[in-house]
Amino acid sequence: MRESTLPHEAEPHETVMDVTTQPIPPKIAVEKIGKRFHNAAAGTRSTRRKQSGTWALQDINFTVSDGEFVVLVGESGCGKTTLLRLIAGLEPPTTGQVRLNDQVVLQPSQEVGFVFQRPVLLPWRTVLDNVLLPTELTHPLPRRADRQASQPARQQALELLALLDLQPFAGHRPQHLSGGMQQRVALARTLMLHPSVLLMDEPFGALDAITREQLNLELLRMWHHGKQTVIFITHDITEAVFLADRVLLMSRRPGTVAAEFLIPLPRPRTLEMRFESEFASLCRAIHQEMGLMRHDEQA
Amino acid sequence: MQLDTQPAPDFQPQPLPSRPARWLWAWGASLGMFGLVLLFWYGLVTWYRLPPLVLPLPTAVAHTLWQYLIDGSLLPHFGVTLSEILLGFFGGSCLGIGLGSLVAISPFWQRVLSPYIIASQAMPKLALAPIFVIWFGFGIMPKAVIAALIAFFPLFENTLVGLQAVESESIELFRMLGANRWQLFLKLRLPNAVPYLFAGLRVSIVLSVVGAVVGEYVGANKGLGALIIASQGMMDTPLMFAVFVVLTALGMVLYLLVHACERRVMSRRTRIEPVLSREPPTPPYER
Repeated sequence: MRESTLPHEAEPHETVMDVTTQPIPPKIAVEKIGKRFHNAAAGTRSTRRKQSGTWALQDINFTVSDGEFVVLVGESGCGKTTLLRLIAGLEPPTTGQVRLNDQVVLQPSQEVGFVFQRPVLLPWRTVLDNVLLPTELTHPLPRRADRQASQPARQQALELLALLDLQPFAGHRPQHLSGGMQQRVALARTLMLHPSVLLMDEPFGALDAITREQLNLELLRMWHHGKQTVIFITHDITEAVFLADRVLLMSRRPGTVAAEFLIPLPRPRTLEMRFESEFASLCRAIHQEMGLMRHDEQA
Repeated sequence: MQLDTQPAPDFQPQPLPSRPARWLWAWGASLGMFGLVLLFWYGLVTWYRLPPLVLPLPTAVAHTLWQYLIDGSLLPHFGVTLSEILLGFFGGSCLGIGLGSLVAISPFWQRVLSPYIIASQAMPKLALAPIFVIWFGFGIMPKAVIAALIAFFPLFENTLVGLQAVESESIELFRMLGANRWQLFLKLRLPNAVPYLFAGLRVSIVLSVVGAVVGEYVGANKGLGALIIASQGMMDTPLMFAVFVVLTALGMVLYLLVHACERRVMSRRTRIEPVLSREPPTPPYER
């Protein structure tokens, strides 16, 4: 892993300090993770299959401390999404392990909220009922008709929707909402179970730049409020620097974490910060590193 | 060159005809087409002097139909056929939805059952009618069984496709939320399959009519199909045509009923629901 030299390392963010100075275990620890996908064309005999296949991810190690906002940046096809799925427990790693609260992740945990690239809302439910889905699945309600029993959950869902400026649309169907609003509904749904970890897989990638800015701000607002540990994937360096405490840069072939950047910008972040020289130099540093990596790959 | 910013005075957007007017126009055209067909039929018979045994006049058919309707002799046949259709439709639908669900959620049962299900469809079911007569007699039962066998397949296929046409991301969302298989089925797969189920129901209600009538051809003493066979024996072609009209009307009404149910359910899925909350929600913190 290449250590970066940045102009503002004199004052690292406090959550990053925790990793190095505190003995408490990190919130998430990714230990020697590797993932190999089998080629469909490879032979079916187990001995041959063991040697064949492509390594999508190789030897990835990093830790995330409690309440930290980490952004994974990389070109498309470098295995960012695969890595996030391994952390979520949706897929098993080929080598290594992921620890959450010092426990090896073997299956999805309800403590972890996953925000997908697309909103993944159920079209036959209203916005409110979509947001209530996690509560329904974890605490099965007696009957749909018995609205009284679910009143606290409904109240909480309505508060979340109000927080995300979606309250007037609570009774609408998701397909009547714009892409940005749909993704905000997905965010509200994820927050219903109060996850301590948020894994976000390019959640705003499909949105236009203006909507994305707004959602970035709302996400940060939620994060300040809930103090979740966030791992956020993007291919947009500006978005990464704007959101992150720490940016991890992933390389391709093999997919691994190639560089790490601390983002010592003050919080709360504002959109104006993006036009300051400090912000620009951070972006430039990441961009240059990315260019170097590409050069190495071609060499 | 001068640019004229004012719209041209003669440019007036033509108002579209109002909704009821367009509706009337479409239905009028549809009815007119029916009239043309009747006229063509009438012309054909009179021009070629076709004997009533080959093709009766539409007026003769209408007359026979009217007479059978007012003296009530059509009613018992109608009742028998309708109960065969409905029994077959419900039986076949339940079987199709049940087996479709089983095959969709369990790879084991899929492997075990699919050869048999394909075989059951590859075999012509109407060929089974004679053996059903031997087994179940001349009553309602054998026709209902044939109707059920025919109605089964579209629902089986559509249930299977509908339950499996769930985005992998939705399944992963449910996995992340810790849903069990039962919840995955009830709250994701089944609601997702509802449009497919209705498409299947629409096909199978029409096929049930076919199954019941053809079942009656093989051996029956009552029912509209039996009446067709009887009219053939009596060389009463107008009666045969009258039964055709009744059967067509019956099939159309049943189809429209299923379609109306479908529209009702589907419109419930798109409408805006009022959200009742006892107190206005207050954000937990100020912005």
